[in-house]
Amino acid sequence: MRFFVLKALTRGVVIDSVRRKDLWVVAILGLLILLSASLLGFFGLDGLQSFVKDLATSVLGIFTTIIAVLVSGRMMPDEIKNRTLYPLLARPISRWELLVGKWLGAVAVTWISFGLLLVTTSLALALFRVPFEPVMLQYILLKMIGLAMLCSVTLLMSLLMTPAGACVMSLILAAGTGMIVRAMTMAFEFASPPVQFLFKVLNGLLPQYGLFDVGDRAANSGWGPAPLWVVGALLGYAAVYSLAMLVLSWARFRRQAI
Amino acid sequence: METTVESSAIQVTDLHVSYRTKGGQTLKAVQGLSFAVQPGEVVGFLGPNGAGKSSTIKALMGFVEPDGGSASIMGLRAGSLAARKRVGYLPEVALYYPYLTPIETLTLFGELQGLRGPELRKEAMHLLELVGLSESYRRQNRTLSKGMLQRVGIAQSLLGSPDVLILDEVTSGLDPIGRRELRNLLKARRDAGCTLFFSSHELAEVEMLCDRLLLIDKGHLIEERKLDDLRDQLREFEVTYTGGPVLSDWSEDIEIGEGGAVRVRFGNQSDLLQAIDRIHQQGGKVIEMIAREGSLEDYFIDTIQRAA
Repeated sequence: MRFFVLKALTRGVVIDSVRRKDLWVVAILGLLILLSASLLGFFGLDGLQSFVKDLATSVLGIFTTIIAVLVSGRMMPDEIKNRTLYPLLARPISRWELLVGKWLGAVAVTWISFGLLLVTTSLALALFRVPFEPVMLQYILLKMIGLAMLCSVTLLMSLLMTPAGACVMSLILAAGTGMIVRAMTMAFEFASPPVQFLFKVLNGLLPQYGLFDVGDRAANSGWGPAPLWVVGALLGYAAVYSLAMLVLSWARFRRQAI
Repeated sequence: METTVESSAIQVTDLHVSYRTKGGQTLKAVQGLSFAVQPGEVVGFLGPNGAGKSSTIKALMGFVEPDGGSASIMGLRAGSLAARKRVGYLPEVALYYPYLTPIETLTLFGELQGLRGPELRKEAMHLLELVGLSESYRRQNRTLSKGMLQRVGIAQSLLGSPDVLILDEVTSGLDPIGRRELRNLLKARRDAGCTLFFSSHELAEVEMLCDRLLLIDKGHLIEERKLDDLRDQLREFEVTYTGGPVLSDWSEDIEIGEGGAVRVRFGNQSDLLQAIDRIHQQGGKVIEMIAREGSLEDYFIDTIQRAA
């Protein structure tokens, strides 16, 4: 895998997304958050620090998830629809490099959006004199890793189904995995051994986005950051899972006639 | 002339390409196609819609996996990274990245080709100038006309001075001025030793550019002709005279008009000249002589119909 190929592809995705004004929508949303927080401050609700932090992290999570899904879900279908895949693959690059480059582009756009939202959210939190705690750094890092994983899942989906289907499926997984896993955990004890085995398999296959969301920890004062080994394990999990998604995408795409 | 994989710029041997339709049926697009293109040659690839031209080109570029046979470019397996490094490709229709400018588009493709830095920028600007986009290089592609986008495509195909140019419907969207500029550009590439292989429905373009043409239909090669030979074959000579012999032993295409004027058509120049001698010898008087270039379009249609 060659760095200059990945860099060129990533830059292409970022320029394209910026000019499509996707990030403008994010900036506007950020401003709205800031405005809302200012209004709360104006009406003297600055005692609700935890509530505001909780709200801010939730809004951050929802909007960045939507952006990650929209950007990574339409990249490859757009390449096929616009026939830009032809001149692209006419160049001496492998399909693996193309997929990884595109994924990195989607991750970069998502992270830039996250950064923009983070800046506005931080400004909003500053209005409430909410101190910036170390757990926030952990929240940011893990959120970014979770978003990268989400991009890889959506990329795979976009090669298996229509762009709309891919986006919907990814959003369902992003929002619903936590609930599915909780339901399986509760039912596990009462299930028969084959079903228990099925639950275990499903648990292993589903992307555990919930693990990367430490918004609760960040929102509730007094909760310290998770131990470093936990963060390390999560990074490892995200790396393996994302790689698996990219390999599956490649397996689907490598011999696909275009 | 017998060609080998090593000596050919493009070599296609018994190529088969098929697609599976949504109904589960197999559609055979290319069936046992074989041909070779020599280095420096300009070859037109013709055929009616659905003949298999684009599928062949896709197999040459590695976009589809052939079911059988082989294809190579400059002795390298078609579609391999090494082969693609030596090929410039223009797709039939491409929108390119709508939000990128022509210069950014060329920079992107140039970087993927392995070019970089000021050299790449210089080459990209030079190519944009060559295709007449030097004043529009900062406009986003989505604001460009179809013809201008085709020029962007042509410029990107020339990045890195490829040994082989594969152009699918090369003149699509270009106005007459653009076509002439493109023709001159391609001629310059040919003179520089580049091999050109292109498909087109514009037979006039093919006639003006090609050394040879390949005609395919339903996935089969049905004719392979050098253009000079074809021009000789298609050229028609006609003489109208009075008072001489009826040259029925020279040509079957004879008309006798009002006042006894005889019009005779010949397939080649030597027959015409000999016929004129005979007319003079036998006291005839030549009224008119015409040398008419044959129509490639008629030839194309006749050949396809004959093959069908």
